Amino acid sequence: MQLEKFTYDNKIVRDFGIATIVWGIIGMLVGLLVATQLFSPGMNLGNQYTTFGRIRPLHTNAVIFAFVGNAIFMGVYYSLQRLLKARMFSTVLSKIHFWGWQLIIVSAVITLPLGITSSHEYAELEWPIDIAITLIWVVFGINMFGTIIKRRERHLYVAIWFYIATFVTIAVLHIVNSFQLPISFLKSYYVFAGVQDALVQWWYGHNAVAFFLTTPYLGMMYYFLPKMANRPVYSYKLSILHFWSLIFIYIWAGPHHLLYTSLPGWAQSLGVAFSIMLIAPSWGGMINGLLTLRGAWDKVREDVTLKFMVVALTAYGMATFEGPMLSLKQINGVAHFTDWIVAHVHVGALGWNGFLTFGILYWLIPRIYKTELFSKKLASFHFWIGTLGILFYAIPMYWAGFTQGLMWKEFTDEGLLKYANFLTTTLQIIPMHILRSIGGALYLIGAIAMTYNLAKTMLKGKLVANEAAEAMALEKVITHEDPADKKWHRVLERKPMKFMVLSMIVILIGGMVEMMPTFTIESNVPTIASVKPYTPLELEGRDLYIKEGCVNCHSQTIRPFRSETERYGEYSKAGEFVYDHPFLWGSKRTGPDLHRIGGKYSNAWHYNHMLDPTSMSPGSIMPPYPWLITQKLDTSMTEAKIRAMQTLGVPYRENFDAVAQAKLKEQAETIAADLKQNNIDVKSDREIIALIAYLQRMGTDIKANKTTIPSNQ
Amino acid sequence: MFKQIKDLAGGEFYLIASLLIFMIFFIMVGIYLIKMNKSHITEMSNLPFNEPQADRYEEV
Repeated sequence: MQLEKFTYDNKIVRDFGIATIVWGIIGMLVGLLVATQLFSPGMNLGNQYTTFGRIRPLHTNAVIFAFVGNAIFMGVYYSLQRLLKARMFSTVLSKIHFWGWQLIIVSAVITLPLGITSSHEYAELEWPIDIAITLIWVVFGINMFGTIIKRRERHLYVAIWFYIATFVTIAVLHIVNSFQLPISFLKSYYVFAGVQDALVQWWYGHNAVAFFLTTPYLGMMYYFLPKMANRPVYSYKLSILHFWSLIFIYIWAGPHHLLYTSLPGWAQSLGVAFSIMLIAPSWGGMINGLLTLRGAWDKVREDVTLKFMVVALTAYGMATFEGPMLSLKQINGVAHFTDWIVAHVHVGALGWNGFLTFGILYWLIPRIYKTELFSKKLASFHFWIGTLGILFYAIPMYWAGFTQGLMWKEFTDEGLLKYANFLTTTLQIIPMHILRSIGGALYLIGAIAMTYNLAKTMLKGKLVANEAAEAMALEKVITHEDPADKKWHRVLERKPMKFMVLSMIVILIGGMVEMMPTFTIESNVPTIASVKPYTPLELEGRDLYIKEGCVNCHSQTIRPFRSETERYGEYSKAGEFVYDHPFLWGSKRTGPDLHRIGGKYSNAWHYNHMLDPTSMSPGSIMPPYPWLITQKLDTSMTEAKIRAMQTLGVPYRENFDAVAQAKLKEQAETIAADLKQNNIDVKSDREIIALIAYLQRMGTDIKANKTTIPSNQ
Repeated sequence: MFKQIKDLAGGEFYLIASLLIFMIFFIMVGIYLIKMNKSHITEMSNLPFNEPQADRYEEV
């Protein structure tokens, strides 16, 4: 055995750290902007690029993939090198990874405000960016496995299992949820439709939470918390049990996002059962983290990094207790589509992800800069204002969620909806939304204080770009193996590739059991004869609905509750969505559900409502969309869109694409003529016409009376 | 409360099979944990502290 000298690459850790801070501030600022838009529509800034529908995905993508994403890479690149006693496999790959990831984020910042979106939540980026994400993820994987292979430590510590599971699962999720048929450079349709598309999306969506926001953070917790507290993890056995149970169970939980929808009942029940089971491995992790601090709680009083870690773990415990509770159908019936869910995810995002990131940054930056933190007092200020920010954020949002969820369901003694006008329930929670944005602002102030504190720390010290280390080389062949070593986990700890394959099998089971029957057994999605494909104009209108991000505030799925069928109409059936590439069920009702909006109002109502929502609904917080009236509808891709739909199995008759333009024009002129009856003079080639066509079509296929109210009535 | 996971309208097979798969998996992990060597556990949980550094902050 030979003692080898090598260096740790701290520069890449620093770069990812700076990117975490910069994108964190940007993501939170955009979050604050969208929060104010929900009580002050003027904050939409009067142009199409900053409306809520386009900016909200920018906020979610920025905090998930830019802030948390960069923080993951920072934590992984720091801990992986030290746990494996090896420098990262390739400095060039590290750089490609870093700059590639930043470019992807920049492309999101450009495309999302332009309305270039696939509409799948947390996967909005269009197909060329999806490919770029795949490539950069592979670069990350090669760099990580390369480091594992050339390691000087035989065993893989539990943190690395979490990193491996993260890598492999995110790859699987991203690829399956990106099955799209491109029709141009920046436009594509999802291969799956309706119920199946919804199942794939929420299998992805929930596991983006699991394997992007949770498993890499648990890995980081298992490395950084023992380092900060200077004591090993409470129970290594528990970490093994909780690792395997967590990755096995998490993947099944996606359908709890689709309770009471037209997803087959058995799939919903599977989602519920596994979501409830999930509490055990989640709390296993939290308890393991908190008990690591046993006998060291005095340190928590003095050490601000530990304070951040304790709140992070507590927030993780709360969010993972609440998650299973929200999966119970009775609770979900009230909570779903309300601010309750917004509160729930922000306890996780602000508490767990945010505070764990801050804790690690405060611990790590002074170390790689060979100095002390600039100001402990300022860090303590950050901790308290951040905690206060979380409380000011979460409590009003819970309050708003309970209030609105109960108001939607309340009936009078006569059996009528007490709050028949949806807007009444929206206006009721405005004060809570104002308080929430104050909470967000407090949290942001804390993050800005941290930025200043860490910048000063960096200026005070000097980056140790290449930190010297030495370790024994690993023997390649083991001749005298201890029989006890043959136990499968010890073998796995030494064979990272086998470990990766086993983790992949474990995470594939859940997805396969839920998806394969839904995709292959016809009775799971019963077709309805009267449901026909969209007309070319409606299809164009639907793409505008996607472009404007209407799905961010309006759902398109009516649950089978009396309170919903009274308010919106007949509950949604699986067969109604078979031509919906993608599905647009949504996950939040800031405004009312729109699945049965077709034929409910006149074309003129829609025209006026889009031009100025308050003219039709006084007090509405929906932003106005005047550009839809001035902008010409782009029909250059209509034929290609029809052909793409045909490829995906939508039964347009043969050569329909050749007449699509004529059909589109004909329908547009009918709508324009109808509007004219109400003294609305608008050209038939404007975007608003297509959007009205789509809105008027929605949910009408199974209606007995399909005629739209004429505008002059 | 349990009605929602009990009444599956013909879908019981999926739930029972899924839970069974998990049980088998969980028992396997459990058996392994029981059989685990104590000294190995101590070694593994101390891995973050075995950082051999020539000189902590030396720049090369």
